[in-house]
Amino acid sequence: MKEITAIIRRDKLPETKKVLEELGYPSVSIQSVDGRGRQKGMVCDNDLDPELPEKFCTSVKLTPTPSTYALEHTLPKVALFVPKRMLTMVVPDDLVTKIVKSIVKVNRTGKTGDGKIFVSPVDEAIRVRTSETGGEAIV
Amino acid sequence: MKMIRAFIRPEKEQEVVQALEGAGFPSLTKMPVFGRGKQKGLQVGPVHYDELPKTLIMMVINDKDVKKVTDLMMEKSRTGFVGDGKIFISPVETTYTVRTGEAVL
Repeated sequence: MKEITAIIRRDKLPETKKVLEELGYPSVSIQSVDGRGRQKGMVCDNDLDPELPEKFCTSVKLTPTPSTYALEHTLPKVALFVPKRMLTMVVPDDLVTKIVKSIVKVNRTGKTGDGKIFVSPVDEAIRVRTSETGGEAIV
Repeated sequence: MKMIRAFIRPEKEQEVVQALEGAGFPSLTKMPVFGRGKQKGLQVGPVHYDELPKTLIMMVINDKDVKKVTDLMMEKSRTGFVGDGKIFISPVETTYTVRTGEAVL
């Protein structure tokens, strides 16, 4: 079993879910996270999040927001973060490449900020309802 | 590669992030979480707080940088009082960059 953690753009989430459904692995946990990469949280204008309404486009909220704490307490320098979605799923070993490839295919725009995918090992999975363990629990 | 998950005080987040950036590790993901530890929360007079807000900082780095990063995190987020947080390190097999599709960190 492997855990796939994908950090992707917010507006690509519906498409990603659709693709996972088509692959037969619809089980996924989704979380709203804030992230920054090699660009240290900077985004250019055309990278603005299409999910946000037009009126937000000039406000501070829109561009990578400093954390609430940073806004409240004036800090000399504020680290910027970009809102992202984090997908976590546990899948059988043989499906990892297939799933990663489809996630990459859907999410790629070619611009910075497309995200990262991490694959890490998982020792055990247990289904709470039936106490099934291992491969049966994640099907 | 290793994934580092650090649960730190929310008010120390900026300090840690900027220290990491200064040391050459600008990439990370953070999320607000609630949790409790050995002390089962916090008792202030008659009020008991079972779960306390923390910030989870998640980053994936090369094996050789683990000590450097954890040391830096510990140094910057330590206050000496209970509730300073925990750092967990777990293995990561592969990392893909979505923009290029390549398996590099």
